[in-house]
Amino acid sequence: MGVDFQNVMEGLMVSLQPANLLWVVIGAFLGTVVGMLPGLGPATAVAVLIPITFGMDSTSALILMAAIYYGAMYGGSRSSILLNTPGDGSAIAATFDGYPMTKQGRAGQALTISAIASLIGGLFAIAGFILLAKPLASFALKFGPAEYFLLFLFTLSAIVSLSVGKMVKGFIAMSLGLMLSTIGVDLQTGVYRFTFDIPQLSEGVDFLIVIIGVYAVGEVLYNYLHLDRLSTKKNKVGKKGISKDQWKQSKWPMIRNGPIGFLIGVLPGAGGSIASMLSYTTERQLSKKPERFGKGAIEGVAAPESANNAASVGAFIPLLTMGIPGSGTTAVILGAVIMLGLRPGPLLFENNPDMVWTMVNSMFIGNLFLVVLNILLVGLLVRILNTPPKILYPLILVLAFIGTYTLSYSIVDFYILVIFGLIGLMMKLLDIPIAPLILALIVGADMEQNFRKSLVAHDSIWNMLTASSVTIVLAIMTVLSVSYPFIVSWIKKRKAKTDTPTS
Amino acid sequence: MFRLIMPVFLIVLSIGYLILTFNMDQAKVGNPNAPMYFPAMIGFFLLIISIIYLVQEWKKRGEIIEEVKELVSGRTPVLIGVTVVLIFIYTFLFERIGFLYSTTLFLGALLFLVNGRKHWLQNIIVAVVFSFLSWYSFAELLNVSLP
Repeated sequence: MGVDFQNVMEGLMVSLQPANLLWVVIGAFLGTVVGMLPGLGPATAVAVLIPITFGMDSTSALILMAAIYYGAMYGGSRSSILLNTPGDGSAIAATFDGYPMTKQGRAGQALTISAIASLIGGLFAIAGFILLAKPLASFALKFGPAEYFLLFLFTLSAIVSLSVGKMVKGFIAMSLGLMLSTIGVDLQTGVYRFTFDIPQLSEGVDFLIVIIGVYAVGEVLYNYLHLDRLSTKKNKVGKKGISKDQWKQSKWPMIRNGPIGFLIGVLPGAGGSIASMLSYTTERQLSKKPERFGKGAIEGVAAPESANNAASVGAFIPLLTMGIPGSGTTAVILGAVIMLGLRPGPLLFENNPDMVWTMVNSMFIGNLFLVVLNILLVGLLVRILNTPPKILYPLILVLAFIGTYTLSYSIVDFYILVIFGLIGLMMKLLDIPIAPLILALIVGADMEQNFRKSLVAHDSIWNMLTASSVTIVLAIMTVLSVSYPFIVSWIKKRKAKTDTPTS
Repeated sequence: MFRLIMPVFLIVLSIGYLILTFNMDQAKVGNPNAPMYFPAMIGFFLLIISIIYLVQEWKKRGEIIEEVKELVSGRTPVLIGVTVVLIFIYTFLFERIGFLYSTTLFLGALLFLVNGRKHWLQNIIVAVVFSFLSWYSFAELLNVSLP
């Protein structure tokens, strides 16, 4: 199967080194805490915490970053369950039954089952990662520029069309991101593009500053709108233990949705939101008592939590094997990984197998640790959640500036940070999705290089599209993903017409 | 009519971007127009999609965007405005008086602005402790050089 168990075991040994264990613990804890803060999603958590990894060796940095990432995903579900405020798409499904459970005074149980479900989903996904990553990397080795260009195009169009009802706005965000990516010296010819003779722009816009700007600064400014209405709701946690019956109810949903979530996470562009939504609706359909869902059914928390954690591990496969992020949060991770000097892609598994497998094993350890953290320290976490947001937001702002400064040691970037903070605020106000912008900005340069290379190789766009079976499939999938919302609305309209016959 | 500002701005932006694209320097190696293909594609795409956006918003031009109304009501504009001004002052002071002092001042000012004067003791303690801790962990533990 192409799985190198020796590498996997070596990775396990490295990840068990005390220093690396410590990074897992620190990253998972910090990620959970920041990801949990109301109004701040995991993307913000990762963006704000990235600077901690500077100055570390790349293996430890990668471990810490991954720990922050899945810690933040955990934290996101915490605020879904306790406050009904999901930090990003993948945590939405956890609110459906998690928040009702909190209102019934069963928050402790909801948090426990969410932690266990996440662990089970995560374990499935790590096993899946070990089996799938290497073969997929070998498959991706055969990709030429045309395949890569279409893969990027498909990923972008998928993430745009998944923001249902906001497709036009999604494409606008995507175009803006691609535009930003064209600023700077053209790598192939040395032509200066859109630099306006400003020396700082010749190397292009640093995407990490854009990320910190739109996510951290933008979100803090946006939260100012609701500042005086934000109250720290104090909910009773209740008992943490779950009964045998509850375990029985949630056992199969957790086991079923782990592998499903993982597979969806592997698909570029899909990610956690789809995985958790899909698993929630499937469980409701499978349930003998679907009316319990939405009213605090424990399996309604277990299923999506298992799926979304599995998906967040699965998302690492396209991220590391092909350099393709599936969501805003993984885009931020990709940016950080590139900054470490690693080049995600099929060759990463050939050149740095030690690093990859150490990270995967540390994810396994981190998942175990998070369960312990989330079950034992529920009380502490809830108390952190009670910290007034009016103190937290200024702290996040300051962290954003420190992070930006450590990126380039230049205060010129502070201005860029503010500009993108204001752009982020505008986008949130006008309901323009941010993830397509970030994704496009990060993959834009690669996408253009591959486009031009394949245009040279295949003469015309048509030849490029039909260059191989992979390109044909990707082209069809792109068209389908773009037309998907139209098909759905057309079907709905037809249904509405047949349901209400008018004379 | 506020709704129409953004689409119109985007249309102007895409036209400006296209003009810049077609006036770009030609490449001295390979196809002289190669650097402008991709930007031209994006520019046209944004132009088309912005026109669709304009049409969509035109149909809804009478409706008010709730969140934009909140932006200009209450103390939100003051909060955002003062925060931006504070950021500029922070940027100005950052390398002049050093990380520790400027951050303490910036964070303190932000806390007084957001958290209110009533909690002055809390604000001061948080500002001092957090600035010192972040300075200590970045400069001393992580060897990041801060001014």
